Amino acid sequence: MEIITTIFTNAFYVLVFPGLLFVAIVGLLLAGIDRKVLARMQKRVGPPLIQPFYDFFKLMGKETIIPHAANRRVFLAAPVVGFVSLVVMMLFIPIFGFSPLSTNADLIILLYLLTIPAVALIVGGSASGSPYAGIGISREMVTMMAYELPLVIVLLTVARKVGGSTLCFSLSEISLFQQAEGSLITNWSLIPAAIAMLLVIPAEVGTQPFDVAEAETEICEGPLVEYSGAPLAIFKLNTAIKMFIMTALFTVLFFGGIDTGFIALNALVLVAICAVLTVICMTLIHAICARLKIEHLFKFYWTVVTVLAAISLILVWLGL
Amino acid sequence: MINFTHFPVIAVMGLFLCAFLVEIFGAKNKYIRNTIALVAAFGAFALIAALIKPVFVDGNVISYWMGNWTPVGGYAIGIGYEIDALNLFFALLVVTTVLLSGIYSVKYMERDHHLGHYYTLYLMLSGSVLGLVLTGDIFNMFVMIEIMTFASVALTAFRNNKLGALEGAFKYLIIGSVGSSLTLSGIALLYAQCHTLNMSQLSAALATGLSPTTILAFALMFAGFGVKSYIVPFHAPAADAYMAAPTSVSMLFSGMVNKAGVYGMIRLTYVIFRAMDLSSVQLLLVTLGTVTMFIGVTMALAQHNFKRLLAFHSISQIGYVITAIGLGTALGLSSGIFHAMNHTLFKGLLFLTAGAVLYATGTCDLDRLGGLSKRMPKTTICFLIGAFSISGLPPFNGFASKWMIYQSTFAKATETGNFGYAFATIVALVVSVMTLASFIKVTQAVFFGQLPENLKEVREVPLLMRIPMWIMSALCILSGVFYNFVAKYLLTPATNAAFNVTNYIDKMMGEGYAAANGITETAIGFSPLDLWNPVLWLILFAIVLISVCIVILTGEKERGRTLVKTDADPEDGKYATFFGGEASTHSHVGGSDLFWGFKHDFKGYFKFIQGMHSGVVNDYALWVVVATALITVFMFIFVR
Repeated sequence: MEIITTIFTNAFYVLVFPGLLFVAIVGLLLAGIDRKVLARMQKRVGPPLIQPFYDFFKLMGKETIIPHAANRRVFLAAPVVGFVSLVVMMLFIPIFGFSPLSTNADLIILLYLLTIPAVALIVGGSASGSPYAGIGISREMVTMMAYELPLVIVLLTVARKVGGSTLCFSLSEISLFQQAEGSLITNWSLIPAAIAMLLVIPAEVGTQPFDVAEAETEICEGPLVEYSGAPLAIFKLNTAIKMFIMTALFTVLFFGGIDTGFIALNALVLVAICAVLTVICMTLIHAICARLKIEHLFKFYWTVVTVLAAISLILVWLGL
Repeated sequence: MINFTHFPVIAVMGLFLCAFLVEIFGAKNKYIRNTIALVAAFGAFALIAALIKPVFVDGNVISYWMGNWTPVGGYAIGIGYEIDALNLFFALLVVTTVLLSGIYSVKYMERDHHLGHYYTLYLMLSGSVLGLVLTGDIFNMFVMIEIMTFASVALTAFRNNKLGALEGAFKYLIIGSVGSSLTLSGIALLYAQCHTLNMSQLSAALATGLSPTTILAFALMFAGFGVKSYIVPFHAPAADAYMAAPTSVSMLFSGMVNKAGVYGMIRLTYVIFRAMDLSSVQLLLVTLGTVTMFIGVTMALAQHNFKRLLAFHSISQIGYVITAIGLGTALGLSSGIFHAMNHTLFKGLLFLTAGAVLYATGTCDLDRLGGLSKRMPKTTICFLIGAFSISGLPPFNGFASKWMIYQSTFAKATETGNFGYAFATIVALVVSVMTLASFIKVTQAVFFGQLPENLKEVREVPLLMRIPMWIMSALCILSGVFYNFVAKYLLTPATNAAFNVTNYIDKMMGEGYAAANGITETAIGFSPLDLWNPVLWLILFAIVLISVCIVILTGEKERGRTLVKTDADPEDGKYATFFGGEASTHSHVGGSDLFWGFKHDFKGYFKFIQGMHSGVVNDYALWVVVATALITVFMFIFVR
């Protein structure tokens, strides 16, 4: 009996909350907010809030075309691998104390899981055999190397701040620490790291001006150029979910101190904060900036963003 | 009751004996030749595997005096073999590699001539590395290093009709000999000072403190083992040798020859000199390791040859191992040897797939391959498993060991308050991403993309070559998913053995010998963290597998209806630049280079580092000499 309960609980975690259904809905919602707010900033009316849902179901119903040059299995499996890893990632991110999976290596596992959707995109594009995808995956890879360095430093900074002289790579411990000591964003030495993290988010998600890999105006969405129908729908969904995952990760790392006492209310608060962060770090920058070149993107991340993150790490190391 | 004490020496002697039997009986007949080689390899494997229970589980230390020349009056006269959990750990890596490489060689080498010579050298190399890790006598160790070096040189040059084979062998010969000479000089100085060659007795004799002579000996042997494990700046000949040697031998090189160097380094620093509580030695090893992993991976990013790329990754991964063992903590050492084990598994696997590609297509040039996943699907799966393991994606084994390395370096940083160790963590994490990027390049250039016209008829490699690949793949997944099992039965005993110097000395020289010489280190009772929930990961892995299978099956159903020929004709020269993953010479499209943005921003560094790897052996020898001099100076100033 107990086994059945455990299985059902875990299935609920994976499939409904905070897993598959929850991330998909919130992710698409955030994408809708992003599009709507962007449109208002550009003095357009913009699509309805649930336009991404319409787009998703429309694409799901379309025919899937597989190019002759493609490796069929990998071409089809790549979006699903990315999707599953994003769902798994959400299980590791605590919602203000509630966390279905917790190990003492969360941060490192997340760091690696975060690379899997990017790798899935690269491998899928590579398997499609298109020259545009070839350029796209090259840029995606350099983007990945670019944001990984500041992201690593930000995560180590938080780990050091929370752990002190012991070691802490556990997100739920980071969350508990903040509930006891107050959110980390209130700590001035961590503000450079928070800014660095905010700059990492758009590159990780791949929104303008950091969408060099997809760049629809020059290389026709790069890795996605040959995709159509359901696989394309899943890739679009992955991008939307990434928005949620990255902003949720930011929330856990820097706003972890909030706790209303109810899981449902906490989840709502999380979604609200994520929506605000989406507007700040994705929509706003999107509306302001034009797309960068890949070498400028790389240079930007390995100088400005890395230095911001490193300042925080040094400050935290000095005990400030 | 079987007497286990004879097993190690029989394993070593069996390999050496069969090396000559192959030449005598098997020079003409391939069946006799293969049988002798495989029996020797399997025999060694069985004999070493039989020691798992007495050593790992029961915690014995096996000491064996050749010809029963036991110590007289506290002086070791004869050659002794001493097998504790640390030796046995490395011996298991050696025999596993030898066995799988032996199975692979049967088909892989069948098109070559003079295979009698090949198997003689192959068994000599195997026997020498096994002897090196099992021996308890430092001069015996040197003899084994010499046999190892010269067998390796001859095997590198085995396909001497191929371009680069003799050149690679020549570089290996020069640098390898310099390394051996350094080790020999160190041993000679130690013998002059301590009047013994037995490692246990040396450790006891050095307990009273280091004199200038023993510091010099330490520096020379440190550099000598550095050459054997190919850490930067001693790494240069490795790339040429790994590329030129037959792939079954490249696998031996990366699977066990450089592990022998790592083993020597651990034995030297942890047991003989007991120097790992000195922060200067820790700093030296961690610095060398961090530099090694970075330079190795950046050089790998620039390669166009599959095997040469793997060779630079070998160097880079050994950097991880050296960094971890250099921490001097129990967690550090256990993560280091775990990564050494994983490196043997995944790099062996990757070399085998590279060999399969070479066997099937006749080339390892990344610019001329492509689209092989359609023709060689099984090899592609094995390659992807290896690539994901080396890049450290969960739940493969590379993730578990790399995670332990990050954990141990960052723990060291927080314990000591030294920011440098945190820097090592950051470098390790970034290098891991670069490794992933580099393997995506290989995936794109070899297995995906467009299939060139001349490779349309390529066939999957024979079953006998696939079996070792499958075994390696299975081990990569199992050791990652069942991390707790590996940690409990392999890593913990090996780590404790390295720290328990008293036990090591007492078992060889008699009870109380260590205490009489003032050595008090005993068992530290280390047990690794419980970081890995295997059941959980197995479930997650199953979810991914099921969802992928569903997609593939639904995709299969629509066959025929959805296949569309794109306009990108692979024969059209216009597109050629896109598919290799690297810029072709006529390309005007900068973005076609897979790391273009990265390389553009670091062009100064890449120009410098590629200029340094000039391919001139004089330069490489100079690096070795200069590095040895610097290490010696460092030791004299800081080690006390």
